[in-house]
Amino acid sequence: MKPTVKLRVILVVLSVGFLSACSETSEPAPVERSVYVHSMDGVPRSLDPAQASSLYSKFLVVNLYDTLYRYQYLARPYELAPNLATGMPVFSDDGLTLTIELKPGVHFIDDPAFADGQGREVVATDVVYSILRHFDPAMRGQGAWLWQGRIAGLDEWKAAGADYDTPPDGLQATGRYTLQLRLTRPFPQILHTLTQGYAAIVPREAVEALGEQLGTRPVGSGPYRLESFDSARAVLERNPDFRAEPIRLAEEGFEPRRDRVWGLEIIEGQVPPLTDRIEVEFIPEDAARWNTFYSGRSDFLKVSVSQSDTLMMNTDPVMLKPELAERFFLDAAPEAGFVFTNFNMSDPSIGHHEDPEQDRRNLALRCAIRMGFDWQTRNNQFFAGIGQVFPGVIPPGLPEFDPELDDSSIRFDPQGARDLLAANGWTPDNLPVLEYGFPASVTERQMFEQFRSFMEVIGFPRDKVRPKAFASFGDYAQAYSKREVMLMTAGWTLDYPDAENTLQLFYGPNASPGSNNSNFNDETFNELYQAASVLPPSPERTALFEQMNQRVIERCVTISGLNRHLILMWSRDAIMRPDRAFLGGYFLRFVDMVPTTGP
Amino acid sequence: MKTSRYFLQRLIYGFVLMLGVSLLSFTLMVWFGPDQTYELLGKNPSAAQVEELRESLGYNRPFLSRYGNWLGDMLQGDLGQSTRNGEYVSKLLSRTLPVTLLLVLPGFLLGNLFGLLLGMAAAWFRGSVLDRLVLAGSVAGLSLSFLVIIIVLQILLCTPYGLNWFPARGWRVDGLESYLFHVTVPTLALILVSVGYNTRFYRAVILEELGREHIRTALAFGATPAELLFRNALRNGLVPIITRLLYSVPLVVVSGSLLLETYFGIPGVGKVTFDAITSGDQPVLLAVVTLTAILFVIVQLVAEAGCRLADPRLQNQ
Repeated sequence: MKPTVKLRVILVVLSVGFLSACSETSEPAPVERSVYVHSMDGVPRSLDPAQASSLYSKFLVVNLYDTLYRYQYLARPYELAPNLATGMPVFSDDGLTLTIELKPGVHFIDDPAFADGQGREVVATDVVYSILRHFDPAMRGQGAWLWQGRIAGLDEWKAAGADYDTPPDGLQATGRYTLQLRLTRPFPQILHTLTQGYAAIVPREAVEALGEQLGTRPVGSGPYRLESFDSARAVLERNPDFRAEPIRLAEEGFEPRRDRVWGLEIIEGQVPPLTDRIEVEFIPEDAARWNTFYSGRSDFLKVSVSQSDTLMMNTDPVMLKPELAERFFLDAAPEAGFVFTNFNMSDPSIGHHEDPEQDRRNLALRCAIRMGFDWQTRNNQFFAGIGQVFPGVIPPGLPEFDPELDDSSIRFDPQGARDLLAANGWTPDNLPVLEYGFPASVTERQMFEQFRSFMEVIGFPRDKVRPKAFASFGDYAQAYSKREVMLMTAGWTLDYPDAENTLQLFYGPNASPGSNNSNFNDETFNELYQAASVLPPSPERTALFEQMNQRVIERCVTISGLNRHLILMWSRDAIMRPDRAFLGGYFLRFVDMVPTTGP
Repeated sequence: MKTSRYFLQRLIYGFVLMLGVSLLSFTLMVWFGPDQTYELLGKNPSAAQVEELRESLGYNRPFLSRYGNWLGDMLQGDLGQSTRNGEYVSKLLSRTLPVTLLLVLPGFLLGNLFGLLLGMAAAWFRGSVLDRLVLAGSVAGLSLSFLVIIIVLQILLCTPYGLNWFPARGWRVDGLESYLFHVTVPTLALILVSVGYNTRFYRAVILEELGREHIRTALAFGATPAELLFRNALRNGLVPIITRLLYSVPLVVVSGSLLLETYFGIPGVGKVTFDAITSGDQPVLLAVVTLTAILFVIVQLVAEAGCRLADPRLQNQ
């Protein structure tokens, strides 16, 4: 080859090499995006805050929308914290008027529902509108019960035609960022209600433009916005316009000794949401949920009871097997709720009877059935032995829970039960047929069979304990709301950390179709409840709660109860402390992902 | 002319069939379906709120008025909105139907193809060890629960307990590679559960054809086994094959996909339908039932046309 040609070739090669090197350096490096994959054991029905009744819906709603208040990330017992509100409300002297200031400069996400498609600022009238929706029959809101009869003028507003342009006196925007609520009577739980998914703030334009489609197309001001939502998963993307509020761990209840184990100190000073993208997989099936988690395709798992033996080395205290502990964090937390079995007190064969003598015998019958219920066996066989059985209806975890309460109401005493039945004239021949209601499933059927075996031990003929199964939970709810079920298995998930939320389950005016499915209507209990309902948390109120609790126990209204413990596992790449209780989905904004190394 | 009149007649019957199916399914939903009231109520409703909700759901309206409204909307193409989350049913179906088709079609086609090949082999070697093995295998396949197959495959292929090559769940499809990544395990499950049934069916069809005189004649004329099986036996057995294949499409699409979609977390129409049944989401359920009826009518027409093509003697009937 001639030297000039050779030189040209060399120059061309060098040029190509130089240009390719330039193009490599001039192209920006791909931005690493952090992704957290959460698995949920249920499927949310709707993302419209007015219909966010399930904990699955609420989990997403509180990340897509703002509420006035939330709970501190790490404080236990749970402590309220401002969210969209600037701070705690200012109460009037009589405690009936609250004034809440909103943070200025917060915007809804962009959406065609707004003029020019740009999300406008969130103002106090939006809060008014969002609460009023629950009282508009056209909206089918599910949260009215939180504020019914508590905020002045709501019922009158509804009766007058539900005109949003003339809100009731008790719910007013007195300034652009100022909200004023006037209560009909003291309502100590009011701020708790403003943390609920029901209280999430929606723009009127979006509701009017989208109508029912708001259930799948949220337009909020929360830390995330929805990218996609179907029956299998939801994908949330960081809201780039979410207000920048650096994390102050001290204000979130951080306790170094407890929380350092999860590496949480590294999020101090960072601005939530800490993760760019959240993928929430809806996986009701235990096996599929475990397989997805174990293969590393999800970062979080709520362990099912059926798997706890396989995964746990110990259940007291709860400890993972070593090979799993290397890869995953674990937290065993009491559930915010409890399971119990109610007697239908409006059924004269087992509940209240007009004849005082029969009423006394029915009381003895209920108490005997309760004495024949073996909670420890129930706990071991259906809750892996890690549930906590407690007397009464104020579960552990609540400030008003009394660990020293006499436990005779949960003690298995079959001989005592038989003696009680005999002493009150109950024989196998005159015992009533017990109809035990439940929504059809394998587990519920097994629980019924176990219950029947308990009753046989105390003298019930087998054929006098019958199942009453319902095809779906909706059918079951309809039946007990119509008072058609004699014994009802039930579970109650608390809405806020206050024992009023469980005691209202036995308050007479809340009888079916309300939440009082036992239809207990006791004058003494009702008076105590009314007196306590206007008191703030205090020793005086706790004393009233204790009396109510004792009344429910004395009247043997319910076989109660068991507080389930939830076992939560998550990847060590996820820096977080997840929560399924009151904090719920609020923790997602604090989740930080350890950058993964790889090709 | 005769043919076109025949198909026109079929279309009219099909329309009447759809009306009948819609009325029957509407009646069943209204009288026996779940009442959504108590699923849509809040935690502590009053009796007034219960009545209010029932009124807004239309439960208090006369049956004929409800059916008439629904039918009128349906005929105008308005499938309504899901009472579960407010999504337009037409949008929901347009989103989920293609997913279900992409999910089940490979397994359906391959399951039938493998069943055909195994059935032909078993029929040709009838009575031999191969035949017995194929029959035994098909019985085993028939006996296995679809659910067990799904879980075992997930463990073997989708978890660190096994090969961990594929995802246990999900449908993040944006190209051929991601499609194959997500559809492989469900397809294997569908093949394993269907090949038993298919093998026995195809074996029976081919066996019947192989017993006919034209096969003996073709054999006498020196036809090879492949020619006998594919050109003679299979071709003459196309009528029952086409009928079975086409009539199983609606069932596979709707009911067959339910377990796959549930366990693999795939957002298809089977799971949506099941949720609508259990929750009483009438607009979704009625739309699915009606569209399934329409699909059956179309399948019937296509099957008739296909059979006439396969067997010209039918054109004169």
